[in-house]
Amino acid sequence: MPLLKSSSAADAEPGISRHPLTGTSLSGADVVVQVLADEGVDVLFGYSGGAILPVYDAVFRHNAEHIKPDGSEPMPLIVPANEQGAGFMAAGYARASGKVGVAVVTSGPGATNMVTPVRDSTADSIPLVVICGQVATQAIGSDAFQEAPISNIMGSCAKHVFLVTDASQLEATMRTAFTIARSGRPGPVVVDIPKDIQNTTMTFKGEGELALPGYRARLRAIEQASLADEDCKLFFEALSRAKRPLIYAGGGVVAGGAAAALKAFVDAFGLPVTTTLMGIGGYDTTDALALHMLGMHGTAYANYAVEDCDFLLALGARFDDRVAGVPTQFAPRAKFVAHIDIDPAEINKVKQAHWHHIGPLDRALQRLTRFGKTHDYSLSLSDWHAHVAALKRDHAMNYDRDSALIQPYAVLEEINRHAQGRAIVSTGVGQHQMWAAQYLDFCAPRHLLTSGSMGTMGFGLPAAIGAQFARRDALVIDIDGDASIRMNLGELETVTTYGLPLKIVVLNNVGDGMVRQWQKLFFKGRFASSDKSLHRKDFVRAAEADGFAWARRLEQRDELAATIAEFLAFDGPAFLEVMIDPDAGVYPMVGPGANYAQMITGDFIPARTAPKAADAAATDMF
Amino acid sequence: MQHTLSILLQNEAGALVRVAGLFAARGHNIDTLTVAATADPAVSRLTLTLRGDDAALTQIVQQTRKLVDVLQVEHPTHA
Repeated sequence: MPLLKSSSAADAEPGISRHPLTGTSLSGADVVVQVLADEGVDVLFGYSGGAILPVYDAVFRHNAEHIKPDGSEPMPLIVPANEQGAGFMAAGYARASGKVGVAVVTSGPGATNMVTPVRDSTADSIPLVVICGQVATQAIGSDAFQEAPISNIMGSCAKHVFLVTDASQLEATMRTAFTIARSGRPGPVVVDIPKDIQNTTMTFKGEGELALPGYRARLRAIEQASLADEDCKLFFEALSRAKRPLIYAGGGVVAGGAAAALKAFVDAFGLPVTTTLMGIGGYDTTDALALHMLGMHGTAYANYAVEDCDFLLALGARFDDRVAGVPTQFAPRAKFVAHIDIDPAEINKVKQAHWHHIGPLDRALQRLTRFGKTHDYSLSLSDWHAHVAALKRDHAMNYDRDSALIQPYAVLEEINRHAQGRAIVSTGVGQHQMWAAQYLDFCAPRHLLTSGSMGTMGFGLPAAIGAQFARRDALVIDIDGDASIRMNLGELETVTTYGLPLKIVVLNNVGDGMVRQWQKLFFKGRFASSDKSLHRKDFVRAAEADGFAWARRLEQRDELAATIAEFLAFDGPAFLEVMIDPDAGVYPMVGPGANYAQMITGDFIPARTAPKAADAAATDMF
Repeated sequence: MQHTLSILLQNEAGALVRVAGLFAARGHNIDTLTVAATADPAVSRLTLTLRGDDAALTQIVQQTRKLVDVLQVEHPTHA
């Protein structure tokens, strides 16, 4: 590929900035890489293979020709053990940075291994661009080697998928993929590129995107939407009538970059804030008005506040089944539900809103804050604040602090003492994920990276790797479970290959803890395939085999504090397995089909009312 | 209740599959489906009928509007 140099045409037209490569002949593969460079992509995650080789070669040449003064590559290509790992690395990068994560894989199995991260990213609104090699256009539909109908498969789980069959559309398609991924409600975009298109020589334009008239018109309408004075007035009149208003903030606060606007709104009007799992960090969990997470495994005080509130403001949240399992009984005393979201399809989908706004959350909150201040809407919430403070005090998170066994909560509290809400934490899925959400503090957005909607076990390790590439100097911790980490255990080697100073904690309860918890509750303790006590895996030796110089197993609770301190202070990749109480449960728990008033708080968190015995297997809820 | 939806769609690779797939994935049965070219060869009109209550219909219309290839969704019998 030619080196970047400014063209004489650009010099001749001052004020019009032209791409230095405009008019140059490039291969399709070089065009792909040039657009990636133009989009500011600084790391790729992917696994090579026959149908993507031209793009891999173009990445290699690009890096060789644009080596940075410090000797590093401008666009390093990080190779996982499995393409699913690459997808979650790209997602971890995107979640930690807010930028578009990019994965590049080959056709057939390479692309189908990306299905899970793509669906996961759609479900959590994470911007990705996934480039897949495809068999040559003339071979499509012939059952060719490593052929799979990626456009069909990804079409049902991505935000959008392009199959590029016309080489002249490649450049615009690549650029458009980034626009779609990051605009509106973000999501993953798959670009499926046949090998012959990668090899076609074409003239690089240096600009231009696909028209997409429908998408762009709808996007423009949403992005330009603003709150009229009348809308603001209705909102504040309802709010000023409320005595117990509550904010329920979701992942949209993080995705929409609205954390600062939310803080300013809360500073102005004093509404307490509870967040969803995806919204954690959207509001500083250490703040006096923060109630931490609500929902199935939310804090008791958050869930009681939801029970008690008379005004609910949902921000970038979608009343999903882990929050509003029984929508008609969710926030039962809320006389007014207000909902702001970027996605029109989320308004009134689950819970009818009395007032709603569709548009960018940060602007909407800034507008409401200005309007409310200008018109002197002041709320007297001191009784409500006292009530919320009492809930936090009387129903605080707690556990068996006298147990001889290591309690997972104690491990997280110890980590929290060091991290102080500033570490980037990824998780797998299950009990350890909920414990991490409950017991760790997060002072800023993009610090808790977790598979919220899809609940993909195996997410934690590759997501942490991707996050470390986004935040090279940050403390990145993967809080994982023994079953979750097994799913992508091959990525342990990726950590040491790239010398990442990741800290990996495996809370080992010898099985699928969350499954066992449900089996205890609803299947009379028959642990169908969730007990792993016959498994022979030695995680510490596995980590050592993959090159971890610091790999330990913690089995004595009196060594907890010293071990955690040494583990987190280690300069380099470190792996800590903690043998935890296998019977430790996740509490509180709002059982499937139950409402918040029926929440079980366990033996160590005081409940407001005695819970009724669980009605075993009486529900299809999951 | 029976509803008819009229959808204008860009003629892109896989666009029809994405519409049909969306309806299937969200639990709707398409009873009838017609696809025809419009005066603009880059645009097709897709007319389909399905059954569902108002809330379900509103939701599937909103979800259809999120498909990138979709230009317009109309629900003429409900206008």
